[in-house]
Amino acid sequence: MTGWLIFLVIGIPWLGALIVWLAADTRPAAQHVLAVSFSVIAGVISLVLLTFASSQAVLYVSLGPAFGELTFVPDGLAVSLTAISAVIGSLAVLFSVNYMHGEKQLGRYYFLVLFFIGAMNGLVLSGNLLFTFFFWEITALCSYALISFYNDDPKAVAGGVKALIITQVGGIGLLIGTLVAFANTGSLQISYLLSHGASISPNTLSLIAFSFLIAAAAKSAQFPFHTWLPDAMEAPTPVSALIHAATMVNAGVYLLVRFYPAFAPVPGWKIAVMLVGLLSALTAAWMACTSTDLKRTLAYSTVSQLGYMVYAIGVGGVMAAQFHLLSHAIFKALLFLSAGAIIHAIGTRDMLRMGGLGGRMSFVRNGFVIGALALAGLPIFNGFWSKELILEAGFERSPLWAYVLMLIGAGMTAFYTLRMTWLVFFGTERAQLNVHPTGAAMKIPLGILSFSAFTSWLLFGRLNNLLVRTLPFHGLHFESTRDAVQAVLSAPITWLALLTIFLGCGLFWLMRGKAMLIPKHDWLVSSSFGFELFNEWIGRVMQNLSSTMQTTQTGQLNWNIFGVLGALLAVLIALCWSGV
Amino acid sequence: MNIPSFMYLIIFPLASSPLVYLVGRLWPRTFLARGVALLSILLTWIPFVITVQIALAGGKQEFSIETIWLRLDGISLLLTGSVLLLGTLVILFSGRYMAGEVGEEKYYAMLLAMMGMIIGLGCATDLFNLWVWFEGMAISSYLLVAFYREQPASLEAGIKYLVQSALGSVLVLMGIALVFSQARVLDIFAVREAVSKSDMNRVVLLAAGALFFIGFGVKAALVPMHTWLPDAHSQAPSGISAMLSGVVIEAGLIAMLRALSALSGFSVSWGLLLLVFGAINILYGNLLALRQTVVKRMLAYSSLSHIGYMLVGLGVALYAGNELSAQGAFFHLFNHLLMKGLAFLAVGAWIYGVFLQNGSHASPTLEDMAGTAQRYPLIALALSVALLGLGGLPPLAGFMSKWQIFTAGFQTENVPIMLLMIFMALNSVLSLAYYAPLINRIYRNEPSQPVLNGKAIPFTLLLPLMILTFLIIVFGFTPGLANWFTKFASGSFFVMFGM
Repeated sequence: MTGWLIFLVIGIPWLGALIVWLAADTRPAAQHVLAVSFSVIAGVISLVLLTFASSQAVLYVSLGPAFGELTFVPDGLAVSLTAISAVIGSLAVLFSVNYMHGEKQLGRYYFLVLFFIGAMNGLVLSGNLLFTFFFWEITALCSYALISFYNDDPKAVAGGVKALIITQVGGIGLLIGTLVAFANTGSLQISYLLSHGASISPNTLSLIAFSFLIAAAAKSAQFPFHTWLPDAMEAPTPVSALIHAATMVNAGVYLLVRFYPAFAPVPGWKIAVMLVGLLSALTAAWMACTSTDLKRTLAYSTVSQLGYMVYAIGVGGVMAAQFHLLSHAIFKALLFLSAGAIIHAIGTRDMLRMGGLGGRMSFVRNGFVIGALALAGLPIFNGFWSKELILEAGFERSPLWAYVLMLIGAGMTAFYTLRMTWLVFFGTERAQLNVHPTGAAMKIPLGILSFSAFTSWLLFGRLNNLLVRTLPFHGLHFESTRDAVQAVLSAPITWLALLTIFLGCGLFWLMRGKAMLIPKHDWLVSSSFGFELFNEWIGRVMQNLSSTMQTTQTGQLNWNIFGVLGALLAVLIALCWSGV
Repeated sequence: MNIPSFMYLIIFPLASSPLVYLVGRLWPRTFLARGVALLSILLTWIPFVITVQIALAGGKQEFSIETIWLRLDGISLLLTGSVLLLGTLVILFSGRYMAGEVGEEKYYAMLLAMMGMIIGLGCATDLFNLWVWFEGMAISSYLLVAFYREQPASLEAGIKYLVQSALGSVLVLMGIALVFSQARVLDIFAVREAVSKSDMNRVVLLAAGALFFIGFGVKAALVPMHTWLPDAHSQAPSGISAMLSGVVIEAGLIAMLRALSALSGFSVSWGLLLLVFGAINILYGNLLALRQTVVKRMLAYSSLSHIGYMLVGLGVALYAGNELSAQGAFFHLFNHLLMKGLAFLAVGAWIYGVFLQNGSHASPTLEDMAGTAQRYPLIALALSVALLGLGGLPPLAGFMSKWQIFTAGFQTENVPIMLLMIFMALNSVLSLAYYAPLINRIYRNEPSQPVLNGKAIPFTLLLPLMILTFLIIVFGFTPGLANWFTKFASGSFFVMFGM
């Protein structure tokens, strides 16, 4: 039964992808209906799968040498992430019915989105590292193709190729880690690596651990690979909500959580993870404070919030990280979809041209404000509880300076969230914008997500129970929702965090008149703290090398013959030198 | 005389070659020449199936005329299957593509002759015989490269190819002479035994090895002997580009391995040489493809880097005695044939629709292909699948063979080899920097002017694309299907090198 559900939760979206594509672009209505049906079915199956969670692997298929056995493990970590990706996936697809209405090449759009949902489910469910990598790369492929969906726009193409290349560098990290693990243990099974981690020599294990950290950082757009996510915002907005906020970027966090028990003893690994999270959280929050593009602001905020999760893993708060992942997936999808509704209605992403939209788009405003309050970490929204748990874990288990910095980050989060909300919905109208009405297919997902942002924290106990029951290596403790609530409310540092958040809000309120004056051409921000220059440098070096090499292809026959004879001479010398 | 079934694999194409020519001359401007060509290649599948069955049952397949032996081993079988598969699709594809060209019958006659020669080359077991088949293949391919003899660029490409290839052949012949002067035999196994047992002049044998390596290396397009390749690939008719890239350069590689295996009896690490040249090929091919604006030239440079992957796989196999690596390299050879064959045929179908039917023999640039998906969705899909497969992205076949090579590299636990694997992985990423922009152009909403003027494309050109696309996806999802023949080939590889 479980095997069938897993098969379906990957297969249904893929089948849907094929069918929608075959339905052809001449029948857009059919494509919309088919895409929504398949994604909703997958969402329902993923919810059913939640009740079948276990740590036992299912579906053994032996694939021959070097490929290992194909297994899927429906443990708590996997099924909860599957539920997130399939449910939010179906909401994003539903949203697309309005958002993508009248666009060309719908078949390609829905094909890629559905293909992505299936691959994302496969990525988290796979019990075989090769197939983790396999699905990992498919998600990168879909992400690239969807970022450059509007191929006629050079920015979209550049953003897509950039995302592809940077996540591929991360892919190499995963590849190397996997291959080293396979060469040393002879098994590609994740559970084998988790249970036999101690028997691998320390140097080898740390090579695997740090390779995986690179992979995770590139996939989750963490420092120093954070540059691709803001440029990925050229994608259609439902895609940004699904792939670049709620699911694919979580894959890095997933990887770290998945292998935490094996890697935690590696010297320096936890500190490195913590630092990556810390640096991402702070630098991205800084950039979010000055950005004037609505979607880029949200992207910076995603990097920052993912930084919180990575930080939490670094300090050992796996449960807190996983809980924040759930909250973040919900409220960030809500924010992105609301932003999509706004962009769809007024046709611009520039917050400087918005302002005072609240009255005219009250439904969207309400959704966005709920998402913003959750992001800022105000009670009683889901973001409040999960962020408090992360900060609590940080206070208990990381150096004080790190905790203080993360606390400041929480204040900055409140600052930019309020600024963003203010610039879009409140204050004076800065441009005469024509507002299109919001469609029903947009309102339903916004409504569902708003409700979830209010209530998903009540699931803490269940999520905890699920993870504790099915993750034998992680050493988690049972904790009910009531316990967590009591812990948060009784801890003095909660009030400290709330104070910081209010300080952030207050600071913005004092500066609200100058919100527009924040320097537009801040060098730190435009170059993503200098890493953009590094990317450009690599690109330039490659292009120059290529130009230089092109001069060797002269097209002259004499030169060609010289090449052959020169190589002969070189090989002769090399052979005689080494072989006689 | 009892002729074993695999001999018909050589006889059928070679015998039908003059027949096709005659039929084409007697009844010009009809479908007869291409019909006979297609029929004869379809007939060749019958002995192939029988041969595979015998091979699977473990039967020995060999044939001799006096002292000259032809033997079918795993490598021959892989090469034969590759030639037949791609050759059949190319002949099917060429039906409409070449219809009405001046000298259409010569095209099919030469193509069939080339296929027969390659299959023969795969089975040759003595050095001189190997060289004869190799020359036969080369001669038939010169004429095919320079097929558009009215086009100066095409003639130039043909001449360059001819001169460089001839130089390579001369070097090989000198190498054979040197070996014969020492060993007094030509049979590859006999040479291997002779050089390993007795005291011979090592310098002479090493020189022979170098001559083999460089001579066959011209055909296998190793940098810096590759300079003929971009011109030849881009100027030849598209079906021939596919054959050159998918089979001919690989045949050169296999001939090189056969010749080097004769000299594997004394302690020289040919594996190291393969590794060095492989690494150079990968980087050089990628760098030159990066700024290339002519699509077929870009694909040609990408062939250089893929030959590099095969070289590294085989190099690791020889250097570290790792069987999985050889298996990965042979799997990559097969996958490269599928992917590059598909890429060239897809571009060829595009050329047919957009250029040929409008009377142009030009080669498309990246900009020309913009918006192809609007007009030719199937070509766009096929080309994207081919390019993404070449870039090594799952769930496509190219990923699985690279994975096998990488896995084997890490199994050796040899630090330089592991670093080489990382270098290769980074190069795969680099290659996406030229594949991805092309795919983006194909899917633009605004078609380029040539695409807007494009004509309809007949089904016989699209069918080969569909078959290859399907195979690339199938082998991507179920790499295990390839296990039996890659394992057979790698087994023969180790027998050949006496390891």
